[in-house]
Amino acid sequence: MDNNNITKDEIMSVYPKAAAAMADALGCDTEKVKLDASLIDDLGAESIDFLDIVFRLERTFKVKIPRGKIVEEARGDLSEAEFSKSGIVSDAGVERLRAFLSEVPSERFPAPLKLADIPRLFTSETFCKMVIRQQRAAAVASGTQPA
Amino acid sequence: MNDCFRAFSFVDRIHSIQPGIKICGSYAIPAELSGFPPSLVAEAVGQLAAWAAMEAVDFKCRPVAGIAAEIDLLSPVCPGQVLELAADLETVDMDAIAYDGTAHVDGNPVIRLRHCVGPMLPLEDFDDPQRLRDRFALLRSTGAAPGAFNGLPPLALQIHPSDEIGQTLRATLQVPTAAPFFEDHFPRRPAFPGSLLMKSNLELAAALATQLPQPATGGSWAPRGASDMKLRTFTRPGETLEMKASLSHLSSDAAIISVETRKGSQLTGSVRVRLATVTTP
Repeated sequence: MDNNNITKDEIMSVYPKAAAAMADALGCDTEKVKLDASLIDDLGAESIDFLDIVFRLERTFKVKIPRGKIVEEARGDLSEAEFSKSGIVSDAGVERLRAFLSEVPSERFPAPLKLADIPRLFTSETFCKMVIRQQRAAAVASGTQPA
Repeated sequence: MNDCFRAFSFVDRIHSIQPGIKICGSYAIPAELSGFPPSLVAEAVGQLAAWAAMEAVDFKCRPVAGIAAEIDLLSPVCPGQVLELAADLETVDMDAIAYDGTAHVDGNPVIRLRHCVGPMLPLEDFDDPQRLRDRFALLRSTGAAPGAFNGLPPLALQIHPSDEIGQTLRATLQVPTAAPFFEDHFPRRPAFPGSLLMKSNLELAAALATQLPQPATGGSWAPRGASDMKLRTFTRPGETLEMKASLSHLSSDAAIISVETRKGSQLTGSVRVRLATVTTP
């Protein structure tokens, strides 16, 4: 799945509803769920909130969002050993993450980056892109869009 | 006496199970009890869903209470009645279970749960997997002997004098250091049940509701449901919970009271309680 050609128009087409779902999950005003807001650092999300957000997005957009797949998709053809070691993401792994999470400002990637801290990078735009990827996958599966 | 499967188990029988899709069961509320609060009816539905989840992952993980988007309290139940339980599973995997559930009595719905999500955690951290496999087999075959539950110990909710009459109300709940329900919930990791926190939240909301203006119909306010219930962390025996109920919405015939529960500064749970008017005949 090509993650790098998700357009701004596509993101903005899902953002209003996605932001509302995230705001409901986090108990905050929708205005606070800005595209570049870090869900953990800016909006105080905890692990239960990530579950809540994913299920709300699934219900809102009628898609299935695989959980825990971001790292796997970002890793691409890198092996797990090449991606991280002893809980620290390798330089090659960080490079893959920067490319996959292109919406995350470069300065937010700490050095070193712990594997467990990857979710701290996620923004509301990250979740918008999750929805778009699954919408595309569903369209391909249904034959309404070429692979 | 060993309180395993006695003090906080609310499924006597599993009648049918379509793996990953639907599960049906029942629970006979012991007739000798003085009452059976709606939070325990919700607990029964959740426990039925939990059996389906554990079976689906071969008893490697178990769900814990996490999120309930909507809970409709349709009708009170009485000791001696049989709860007909059902859960429709939206998804079950090693990360989480998502389900809707209902409880009926004599074919009439008494509670409805929608869009519930429970994180899945390693089962062996909470209980002996083989013990649960054996229990599941019993529930699927002859069923468990009814009548094991002897009621809840006193859980004194200490409501504080209100600073803002009709707007906010605070309370303290001292979780007991020891209680029979901890042996069931859970043998290897005692945790204060989320449904008992829900019970206390409903009581606090009802207490705040007594400070509201009397409804236009002349009746009184009563909890009719809850929404956006979320549990964020486990509460261990002996911990102190501080609750704050706040009026969020008030109209002539409906009110919403938000309740937040904290341990110190840590938010442990939140819920919005829906109240409607009831007319005393």
